[in-house]
Amino acid sequence: MDEQFDCIIVGGGIAGLSAAMTLARAGATFLLVERGEWSGAKNVSGGVLWGTDLHRLVPNYWEEEDGGWERFVNHRRLTLMDAGGAFSLDFKSDHFDAPPYTGVTVLRSRFDAWLAGKVDEAIAASPKPDESFLATDILVESVIVDESGAATGIRAGGDEFHARCVILAEGVNNLLARQVGLEKEYVPADHVAVGVKEVIRLGRETVEDRFQLRGRSGLTNEFVGAATDGIDGGGFLYTNTESLSVGLVIGMAALRESGRTPYDLLNAFKAHPAVADMVRGGETVEYSAKVVSTGDIRGVPREVYMDGLMIAGEAAHLVLNAGRAIQGMDYAMRSGILAAETALEAVEAGDTSSAQLQRYRQRLDESYVMQDMKAFQGAVHLLHSPHMTGALPRMACDFGREFFTVDNEPTRKATAILRDVRKQHIGLVDFLKLGASAARHL
Amino acid sequence: MRFAVCIHQVPDVAAPAQVRDGQLVLDAGRVVLDAYAASAVEAALQLKESHGGEVEVVLVGPQKAAETLRKALAMGADRGTHLLIPEDAALDSRAVVALLAEHLGGSEADAILTGKQSQDTDAGLVGGMLAEALGRPYVTNAVGLEQDGDSLVVTRQGDRGQEVIALPAPCLVTCSNDMNDPRIPNLKGIMASKKKPVETVEASPEAPAVRTVAYAMPPEREPGQRVEGDEPAAVAQTLVRLLSDEARAI
Amino acid sequence: MPTILTHVPVSDGTPNRTALEALTRARQIAGENGWTCAASVFAPDATAAAETLGRYGAQTVYAVSDDAFAQPLGGLVVDALATVIREAAPEIVVMPSTEGMKDALGGLAQRLGAPALPDVVAFSASGTAVEATRPVMAAKFRATVTAEKPADAPVLVSVRAGSYTAEESAVTPEVIRVALATDPASLKASLREVIASASGGVDLADATVVVAAGRGVRDESGKALVDELAEVTGAAIGASRAVVEMGLFPPEAQIGQTGKVVAPDLYFAVGISGAIQHVAGMTGSRTIVAINKDPDAPIFDVATYGVVGDLHQVLPPLIAALREAKGQ
Ligand SMILES: Cc1cc2nc3c(=O)[nH]c(=O)nc-3n(C[C@H](O)[C@H](O)[C@H](O)COP(=O)(O)OP(=O)(O)OC[C@H]3O[C@@H](n4cnc5c(N)ncnc54)[C@H](O)[C@@H]3O)c2cc1C
Ligand SMILES: Cc1cc2nc3c(=O)[nH]c(=O)nc-3n(C[C@H](O)[C@H](O)[C@H](O)COP(=O)(O)OP(=O)(O)OC[C@H]3O[C@@H](n4cnc5c(N)ncnc54)[C@H](O)[C@@H]3O)c2cc1C
Ligand SMILES: Nc1ncnc2c1ncn2[C@@H]1O[C@H](COP(=O)(O)O)[C@@H](O)[C@H]1O
Repeated sequence: MDEQFDCIIVGGGIAGLSAAMTLARAGATFLLVERGEWSGAKNVSGGVLWGTDLHRLVPNYWEEEDGGWERFVNHRRLTLMDAGGAFSLDFKSDHFDAPPYTGVTVLRSRFDAWLAGKVDEAIAASPKPDESFLATDILVESVIVDESGAATGIRAGGDEFHARCVILAEGVNNLLARQVGLEKEYVPADHVAVGVKEVIRLGRETVEDRFQLRGRSGLTNEFVGAATDGIDGGGFLYTNTESLSVGLVIGMAALRESGRTPYDLLNAFKAHPAVADMVRGGETVEYSAKVVSTGDIRGVPREVYMDGLMIAGEAAHLVLNAGRAIQGMDYAMRSGILAAETALEAVEAGDTSSAQLQRYRQRLDESYVMQDMKAFQGAVHLLHSPHMTGALPRMACDFGREFFTVDNEPTRKATAILRDVRKQHIGLVDFLKLGASAARHL
Repeated sequence: MRFAVCIHQVPDVAAPAQVRDGQLVLDAGRVVLDAYAASAVEAALQLKESHGGEVEVVLVGPQKAAETLRKALAMGADRGTHLLIPEDAALDSRAVVALLAEHLGGSEADAILTGKQSQDTDAGLVGGMLAEALGRPYVTNAVGLEQDGDSLVVTRQGDRGQEVIALPAPCLVTCSNDMNDPRIPNLKGIMASKKKPVETVEASPEAPAVRTVAYAMPPEREPGQRVEGDEPAAVAQTLVRLLSDEARAI
Repeated sequence: MPTILTHVPVSDGTPNRTALEALTRARQIAGENGWTCAASVFAPDATAAAETLGRYGAQTVYAVSDDAFAQPLGGLVVDALATVIREAAPEIVVMPSTEGMKDALGGLAQRLGAPALPDVVAFSASGTAVEATRPVMAAKFRATVTAEKPADAPVLVSVRAGSYTAEESAVTPEVIRVALATDPASLKASLREVIASASGGVDLADATVVVAAGRGVRDESGKALVDELAEVTGAAIGASRAVVEMGLFPPEAQIGQTGKVVAPDLYFAVGISGAIQHVAGMTGSRTIVAINKDPDAPIFDVATYGVVGDLHQVLPPLIAALREAKGQ
């Protein structure tokens, strides 16, 4: 054996880089391997990194003039849409204005590369700057598992590399987690969705004027209903410094059934009058598509650790999409940090067996990640109920159309309108069930 | 042979970029090892592997460019020299050449290799200028490179064919990317690169004689049209009609 | 009188077309500024080209005759140009951006201490400054660059093919014979062999119609169709890097950032995806026809006419229709 690292990390996405940063800060030696030409080359997100963990990894990151992030979120909007209408719940507050922000928009090809640069700086400042590496453009082919069933390293480019423990942070397409037998061989289609996204450049001034932004403040807008033409899923529009991230997340099973293509649906979404007004005049500078977990906890691997190995981020399907926000990057960040902390502790103890690494599972369970994933399972299912993309948005828009119309006719009271539109779109029993379910799960 | 390869960092031409107020703005700020210089590194490594010798890489650039030097070391170069200039220094070919010549003037390199042009500017000046500054004979646009004793045998791509030229060392060759496919550093190379010697020399470039005053988008082409139809023969007829009546191209 | 000098490479006695385009532009600048429009030519018998250069407006022709110019090495061209420039003392030296001239430009600039503006699509002179526009970032953008003429050296400019239209304006030139100061045998580099292009036919840079083949052409059967299309349209054959690499087309056929820049009246892109590095060499074409089976291929973004389809289906009827239209 050449040289043994404290840790080998597979994948230089958010989970991998967060783990690496944690290790570098603690002076551990590690090898991070990313198959993309650079960190971020292949990564896709809608674009909001929620929570304040970034501040933990890169303290006062907002002070850097040319940091990797785009805008902080102080204005949120949820829109229910039918073919021609858009009924929104809209909230803006100055309580979001002060750092550490609780949400920032990011463009992954820029953000990941920036974060990798920060990790490199941390390596350079560590006691063993020549013994930790961020290696890109290299595919990890397999995990080395010894006779006892413990992971001891990786194979890449025909060579073997060894470490006391391995962190798999390979993202949703988790071939290595499958190889070591932690991931179930078959992921049913309703645990995954397809995300498509365009980055549409408008120019900084236009973005700020059009969305009433100030400085680096930003808006997030989620959409349900006609956004996906009634197919299970939703749409999003986030403001970046000078562009918009606009996309859809569509249930894989429903998409297949519909026979539509994601690209088609995205074009239709962009053509919806409410969205068309926001993207008008923009130039599409990037198009990407990727699979994303839905947040269904049944998708999480059998276990997230074994002898010598832990799984972090979306490789462990740690994502939650319960209607409020897509949370994948923050989960990746937190789980990467927790895996690295467990690794440090294990290396220190000289024991990287599963008995020791189960601390990772504990840490996850104690964190908001698993707590929220468990607590909001009902909401995840509710979000995928057909009424959420069908009847409900249509009801809201019908209501809105009448409620907000002022013509020279006698005006009906809101309750009367509500009763009528409800009758048109959904049976009373279903409606009450939906309401009860929402009250219970949200 | 001892090789000195001049390399540099360029913006990724494939990444989104725009012109704002006459300035070029690289959206992602992505920078890479110049593809032509990468071919020069590859050529030197191949000759070293078959004939022995040493490969030094030399780079003029700001702090950020150190990663590009590292990349060449990860490919297999033995050592690096970073002629470090301030972040915002404006450079033209002459300023680059002056710094390179100062460093390579005393160099024992038998052969200096450069890219035939830069991916971002396509200037194609540095190689010839540097050779002249150092009084070395040179050949540009090499698509093949062999070693024959103390000489290099260079196949250069000309306008109408190729020329095979014998070039005795000390000499300089500028390399086309059509010469080879530069290797992608493997993990062992990346790990070894951190332990290879890099000499960093602070340098201040002279004021540029050639200045870039503004950037603009190229003139837009008229939007085109699709020629469609169920029958290839009908499509062909339509296309020929358009070519003769509308475009007046045939 | 101040002079603007255009160097005109000749091969087999024929002046390079791009050089005549550049000479036309130089003549305009000379006219605007009241300068002399001069040209230089190196050939075994350089004076033979003087008449043609006069036709394009060269009032003075510096002719360097030497057999070595039948197949000159770069070093010789640098020496000869430096000699002529010392004699003519021009404000600006213009040349076409051919591989031959690219070979000499760097060495010449350094020797003279002259600023060089390579590969420009437009240039102008005002006072002692030269301003030029040149494509950068694989021709995705254009940069405006300027250089001041130094006291004792000219500004060097090389011009991309198709940037200007060659127009005649005949004068009878004064021919100045300049002796080559260098003994070709003294050059350190020596030519071992010339692998001439096997393609023959029409020279790419001079062609008014180009048929360019890409990886979609794949094999001999595809190549036969490309050859036939070139034959009916009287086109020169170009290629993408992919098919040159495959060995299906000769390297001098390569069009693009590494290869040649062409700007014909009509350009057929057959089975070419339209990578920016290829497009960099052909966007100056007046009419572009793209044939590609992938409807999303980026080549369609620059095409005047796009045909989505398999070239094996599209080309045979197209060739037939062209033959018919041309009454062949
Ligand atoms: C359209 C869309 C919108 C989304 N919107 C949001 C959002 O707004 N907010 C949010 O928080 N989340 C969002 N997500 C989810 C979020 O993007 C992911 O959950 C998150 O990126 C997971 O991070 P990760 O580090 O686990 O995995 P990834 O970011 O996928 O990183 C995995 C890395 O591993 C590398 N890799 C994989 N296999 C190998 C191998 N064998 N060898 C070497 N390297 C390998 C990959 O190249 C990649 O860089 C969205 C996802 C999609 C698709
Ligand atoms: C520094 C640098 C310099 C470069 N310089 C050049 C250069 O000078 N010139 C150059 O060309 N490239 C250059 N390249 C390479 C360039 O990036 C592309 O790789 C190359 O142009 C691709 O060639 P292609 O379009 O033939 O092949 P591909 O990209 O593989 O495209 C083939 C196309 O053919 C289509 N096709 C396949 N079968 C058929 C069929 N039966 N009928 C119709 N269509 C079909 C496909 O849909 C596809 O679009 C350079 C690259 C770099 C990095
Ligand atoms: N800053 C630099 N440092 C070292 N080498 C350079 C630099 N700029 C250009 N070169 C070399 O010169 C080649 C041609 O560059 P250019 O003349 O700028 O087109 C490049 O491919 C490099 O090999």
